[in-house]
Amino acid sequence: INMFSSLMLASLSVLTLPIMSSILNTHKNSTYPHHVKNIISYAFITSLIPTMMFIHSGQETIISNWHWVTIQTLKLSLSFKLDYFSMIFVPVALFVTWSIMEFSLWYMHSDPYITRFFKYLLTFLITMMILVTANNLFQLFIGWEGVGIMSFLLIGWWYGRTDANTAALQAILYNRIGDIGFIMAMAWFLFNANTWDLQQIFMLDPNLTNLPLLGLLLAATGKSAQFGLHPWLPSAMEGPTPVSALLHSSTMVVAGVFLLIRFHPLMENNKTIQSLTLCLGAITTLFTAICALTQNDIKKIIAFSTSSQLGLMIVTIGINQPYLAFLHICTHAFFKAMLFMCSGSIIHSLNDEQDIRKMGGLFNAMPFTTTSLIIGSLALTGMPFLTGFYSKDLIIETANTSYTNAWALLMTLIATSLTAVYSTRIIFFALLGQPRFLPLTTINENNPFLINSIKRLLIGSIFAGFFISNNIYPTTIPEMTMPIYMKLTALTVTILGFTLALELSLITHNLKLEHPTNMFKFSNLLGYYPTIMHRLPPLANLSMSQKSASLLLDSIWLENILPKSISQFQMKTSILISTQKGQIKLYFLSFLITLTLSMLLFNLHE
Amino acid sequence: MSLVHINIFLAFTVSLVGLLMYRSHLMSSLLCLEGMMLSLFVMATMVVLNTHFTLASMMPIILLVFAACEAALGLSLLVMVSNTYGVDHVQNLNLLQC
Repeated sequence: INMFSSLMLASLSVLTLPIMSSILNTHKNSTYPHHVKNIISYAFITSLIPTMMFIHSGQETIISNWHWVTIQTLKLSLSFKLDYFSMIFVPVALFVTWSIMEFSLWYMHSDPYITRFFKYLLTFLITMMILVTANNLFQLFIGWEGVGIMSFLLIGWWYGRTDANTAALQAILYNRIGDIGFIMAMAWFLFNANTWDLQQIFMLDPNLTNLPLLGLLLAATGKSAQFGLHPWLPSAMEGPTPVSALLHSSTMVVAGVFLLIRFHPLMENNKTIQSLTLCLGAITTLFTAICALTQNDIKKIIAFSTSSQLGLMIVTIGINQPYLAFLHICTHAFFKAMLFMCSGSIIHSLNDEQDIRKMGGLFNAMPFTTTSLIIGSLALTGMPFLTGFYSKDLIIETANTSYTNAWALLMTLIATSLTAVYSTRIIFFALLGQPRFLPLTTINENNPFLINSIKRLLIGSIFAGFFISNNIYPTTIPEMTMPIYMKLTALTVTILGFTLALELSLITHNLKLEHPTNMFKFSNLLGYYPTIMHRLPPLANLSMSQKSASLLLDSIWLENILPKSISQFQMKTSILISTQKGQIKLYFLSFLITLTLSMLLFNLHE
Repeated sequence: MSLVHINIFLAFTVSLVGLLMYRSHLMSSLLCLEGMMLSLFVMATMVVLNTHFTLASMMPIILLVFAACEAALGLSLLVMVSNTYGVDHVQNLNLLQC
């Protein structure tokens, strides 16, 4: 008997139990957060079983449950697609969420609305699950919008703070611009393929897929914070650290990449869109890595790091390697969530201090956090045989040996070395050296919640890459033979970045203070992009629309065109032509001169 | 022309120039106008008497009468200007400009 589908459905539906409990009003008690955490851990273990079955047999399932509506020829039903991507992503996401929930039990302990916080996190998780298991675009859109809404609610968690509200609104606006692309793609598919089911779209294999794929690329740009729609991600760090760890490192921001991965059969055939994604990802990864170099807020540096890794994933899709991008999603979730949790531990211990210029010397004061931060950073930069190596190194190798855009490749390589640079910057400023925080410290990392959650993700960061790579079935064959300098490219640029950053940071002990150079200002102010784009286009739009709406008809067409213009013209020309100035003496003088001249003429003429 | 004629003619010319080129007071042009009138009267009387043109010996008298009228007119204009501005400087007469 095959319990595959029912187990998967069970694990998905058990997640919704705590939400239902709010109907029964059992959520007011103080153990609700513990219930939620336990439920997620049970869901994780339950979902491991179908995943093992899938790995063993390679059998993909589609569960099509409930026929919702048929609009003329479009049949919409509730269908779950449990294929390679969703089966592996669900346990990873549940594992990471489990650890984050445990972490937030410690972090948000003193928050009076902690039950609401957990409910929001759980709703977010449910919508994310809907997104990854969706078989038709409508369900995917439900999940897509759901994660956007929950992101808004969670970023603006401390709603008394203006910056948090602005950041939440910014997230919604940028996501909305991406949603336009999504809806355009949905409309195109409705018109040209008569369906929103992924199977039918892939079977029909439409020829001119430029327009819908552009729409999907725009959606991914909005959701995954690619260049052009990226400022919301650093601003989203206004939310609490568990929110940053869950949404903006592991799950929500990979929704855009996940969408592009889902449509990889269509993208295989379209070279134009591939080149576009490649260049977009290359620009994103380099730009955000440059911006990360001079930030002073530890969460913003990690946010830019996320953005840079997302650009790397988009680059991978651009070189036609969706499976590698997916692998990078899964491995990236582990160490990025752990990095955020370590930064949360540091922030809480230093009494909510987020500026790295005011940290230091934590190497001895917080050993466990130090360990996990260093291992997370090493995994991020692709240290051999840690987690990040299995995905990142493969990506760089494949990019090196494929027939691709050389400029994009160069950008990606530079961004990889910059990854090492800013990771070293975090480690140097936060952990090494002498303490720069206030002497009255509340450094305490002895809470079992904190330690257990970080420990789980730590083991994941070290071993998960190995486990996942060895247990998945082979998809695209990676390039096995390449010259040795290509094989070592990723390693060399990373080591180069490390040494350079270490050297520069150590020099700062002896330098005198100098004024920021132009390059520094460019990097620190996020390339001036938010400053320009948040002020200039809205001002231009609003003033143009105001002028056209209120001034155009009345003052221009009715007043200015005929009456005022005629009077102006007349006055100007009359001033030009007439000579009356009231200068009497001049007139008399001219009379005299005329008289004299005429006399002379008469007398001398004959 | 004889010297007397040239003398009177010169007096007329000087008054004419003084009428047309004055600095600031309107009164000075009116005075020069009187001067012109005077020289014209003398010139006319001399010509009529020298050529024994008896029938035209009324002309200078009538010229004088008309000169008196026009002097009165000029003076009334001056008085009007002086009423509004206090002085009769010419630079005050600039209302007609654009």
